[in-house]
Amino acid sequence: MSAVLQNLIDQPYKHGFVTDIESDTVARGLSEDVIRLISHKKNEPDWLLEFRLQAYRHWLTMTEPAWPNVHYPKIDFQAISYYSAPKPRKKLASMDEVDPELLRTFEKLGVPMHEQAALAGVAVDVIFDSVSVTTTYKKKLADVGVIFCSFSEAVQEHPELVRKYLGTVVPAGDNFYAALNSAVFTDGSFCFIPKGVKCPMELSTYFRINTQESGQFERTLIVAEEGASVSYLEGCTAPQFDTNQLHAAVVELVALDRADIKYSTVQNWYAGDANGVGGIYNFVTKRGLCKGVNSRISWTQVETGSAITWKYPSCVLLGDNSVGEFYSVALTNHKQQADTGTKMVHIGKNTRSTIISKGISAGQSNNSYRGLVKIGPKAEGARNFSQCDSMLIGDRCGANTFPYIQVQNNTAKVEHEATTSKIGEDQLFYFASRGIGNEEAVSMIINGFVKDVFTQLPMEFAVEAGRLLGLKLEGSVG
Amino acid sequence: MEAASTAFRDSLLAGQAAVPAGSLTWVNRLRAAALERANALAVPTVRDEDWRFTDLSPLYRLAFRSADGPLLEAARLAPWIVPEASVRLVFVDGRFAPKLSALPASDGPLFAAPLAVGIERSTAIVEAQLGHLADFQRDLFVALNTAYLQDGATVVARAGSRIAEPVHVLFVSTQKDVAMHPRVLVAAEAGAEVTLVEDFVTLHDGAYCVNAVSEIVVAPNAFVHHVKLQRDSKAAFHVATSAVRIERDGRYRSNSIALGARISRQNLNVVQAGPGAQCHLDGLALIAGRQLADTHSFIDHALPHGTSRQLHKCVAGGGAHAVFNGRVLVRENAQRTDSGQESRNLLLSDKAHVDTKPQLEIFADDVKCSHGATVGQLEAEEVFYLRSRGLDDTAARNLLTYAFAADIVNRIPLPSLAAQLRATVLEQTGAKELAS
Repeated sequence: MSAVLQNLIDQPYKHGFVTDIESDTVARGLSEDVIRLISHKKNEPDWLLEFRLQAYRHWLTMTEPAWPNVHYPKIDFQAISYYSAPKPRKKLASMDEVDPELLRTFEKLGVPMHEQAALAGVAVDVIFDSVSVTTTYKKKLADVGVIFCSFSEAVQEHPELVRKYLGTVVPAGDNFYAALNSAVFTDGSFCFIPKGVKCPMELSTYFRINTQESGQFERTLIVAEEGASVSYLEGCTAPQFDTNQLHAAVVELVALDRADIKYSTVQNWYAGDANGVGGIYNFVTKRGLCKGVNSRISWTQVETGSAITWKYPSCVLLGDNSVGEFYSVALTNHKQQADTGTKMVHIGKNTRSTIISKGISAGQSNNSYRGLVKIGPKAEGARNFSQCDSMLIGDRCGANTFPYIQVQNNTAKVEHEATTSKIGEDQLFYFASRGIGNEEAVSMIINGFVKDVFTQLPMEFAVEAGRLLGLKLEGSVG
Repeated sequence: MEAASTAFRDSLLAGQAAVPAGSLTWVNRLRAAALERANALAVPTVRDEDWRFTDLSPLYRLAFRSADGPLLEAARLAPWIVPEASVRLVFVDGRFAPKLSALPASDGPLFAAPLAVGIERSTAIVEAQLGHLADFQRDLFVALNTAYLQDGATVVARAGSRIAEPVHVLFVSTQKDVAMHPRVLVAAEAGAEVTLVEDFVTLHDGAYCVNAVSEIVVAPNAFVHHVKLQRDSKAAFHVATSAVRIERDGRYRSNSIALGARISRQNLNVVQAGPGAQCHLDGLALIAGRQLADTHSFIDHALPHGTSRQLHKCVAGGGAHAVFNGRVLVRENAQRTDSGQESRNLLLSDKAHVDTKPQLEIFADDVKCSHGATVGQLEAEEVFYLRSRGLDDTAARNLLTYAFAADIVNRIPLPSLAAQLRATVLEQTGAKELAS
């Protein structure tokens, strides 16, 4: 067993490489001037600059949250470069004009853009160090009226939509990192599904952090109008650095009447080496607003990377009969730390939410589930079911559960369950008696453990997520 | 907050007769150290994570005075006498009342005496434990209690003895605007068994403050059954900390019932300091009106093969607010720990609310841990079942509420006390007419 675990823990990071591309990087440090410069470089309207400046002024009054169960050296926010864009070349007319170095990077990541977009039927909005390089499948989406583009493009072409929804779910001063993001965000994705439209394909972006020490401040905004539905995929890998990198993204989802948004994430950023050196700090604010009646927002996440994960994809269930879902697998090993979970805020009548969280900790890692289920005084007949299970692999890791349950309405029904277990010797013995080796047995047990979550992933991602966990288990024969 | 802290301390001081210097230097030193901490610590506010849902500011505004008045007649205690308990220590407004108390023979297996006598007579064990289990470094209320350390109870069950009769420690409040700081120290020596009933009652319905601390040490193979009843007035403030240390194969069982007080806070800290320790914590908060009942429990599994079970129930009616925070920590070498925790909450009205947080922190891999929490109202199906048997809606609801709460009361091992509490629960749940 110990050899199995040792191998499992010692899996090197498979996506560690740096692409050599010239970057247009702003000097380190943060001030109103830097924000004005970012806004100017991106040719933004005045109201957006004002939004940034207000967020920045609010951020100055805030302090870093101390409550998460994570430990890291203090971040020097003046030592971060807040803007980095690949050197602008002439406007690209086709894929052939894309920097071949960049294309090779995607190839290494297993994203053959030419084919994949066509074969998989996926429109990939490629984010490369915060600036969208190319967007495929735009036309097909435009035919049904779906807007799917980079955030800066949306600011230029659909300012009225951006202005209407930006900051309505995560206000500029929501929390320390969200305020920072609101002040300095560089790019991200924007997606708008008009009334009654079912998005004809799964939308997906690949995030990649590339310039050394450049903080990443993505901003994603997805709006589904009445009766619209969309499934959005986000997946990440990152190069192997020695320097800690801060990532503070904000994702906002808005679902109007009867709209349906499914947001899936597979996250495999660089987690630092076996001693916990390097690795990405992932401090993300993700929140969905079920604004309309009968709307539904579903978060699915598979978190395997990052040195520190601090992330609580949440649903605000405002509309009557709206539904919020959260399915999560968080795998930590070496010295990774994850404090992740969800918030379900029930405001409307007959709102329902489901939370399924599976934490796996190995090595010397620390994995915490932190969740809030809040039933407001007007949420008649609200219903919540939460289940968070932890699995411990090794005796030096930790698993914690912090579920906050706040109920202010007596017609609500809230259930929470949590268990902790390990892979038992008897389970492995049972497999062995059936002729199945330890490696395969561990893999099968873990796959069974996370099955409830993986079935929620879209096909493409289920395969990738399975592969990711497989990677971590590869060569773990005892 | 500084101003509130100072005002609260000054008010407490004004309401406290000067604590006479004791004859023993270690006691004086302990008090002095605690007083120093109490002066350094700020009063907790809702900005402190530990007090997020419990706003004590009404307590800080209370002007305290020292207790006075005529002696209590024994007859007035009659409603609270537990016939099973022949050993009884009675405290009136925080002061030991020898005439109302019944102490055991001094050379028997059970030593039960007021704290002052305990300190003198049982010095070794008292000195080793007093002030060591309940940490006053970070808790203002424990620090205040330790600084004002004067009256309280010492209960020692000698090694190997099985004390059949429970020890009843009764705290009676007879006057308003009084702050009391009762202290209880219980030690069950190796292999001993003892039952303690810690009982807080009132003869009036005014505002007063109870700041209680009990320290309980369970030696190897010993067993302590701790029944704590909080029946303070509906205007009172009750802050209590029970600190328990269980050694190898020791067992601790607690039934904690909170019925009274405008704001009550119960801290229950259990450390499993030896392998194979067991604890079983049951709690009930039955509140209505504007009451707030807050229970914070912390079970620290420090060594292997420990077992813990916890069931905490809250019934909140009117505009009441129930808070539960159950922390279970399994330390690195506490392998083979088996821990189960349940928080069950029943909301009877649309103004009542509950904040519950079962919290698991696990650092050992070979463990079995689970927790569960539910919040809801009575099941419609259950109400329907009773209505199909001819009960009207109100009666059916009252009966179900009674059954929910009585489940915890029935775990109390003293039949007369359980019956007494069942009657109270019947009354509070409005199910009284069904009993006849």
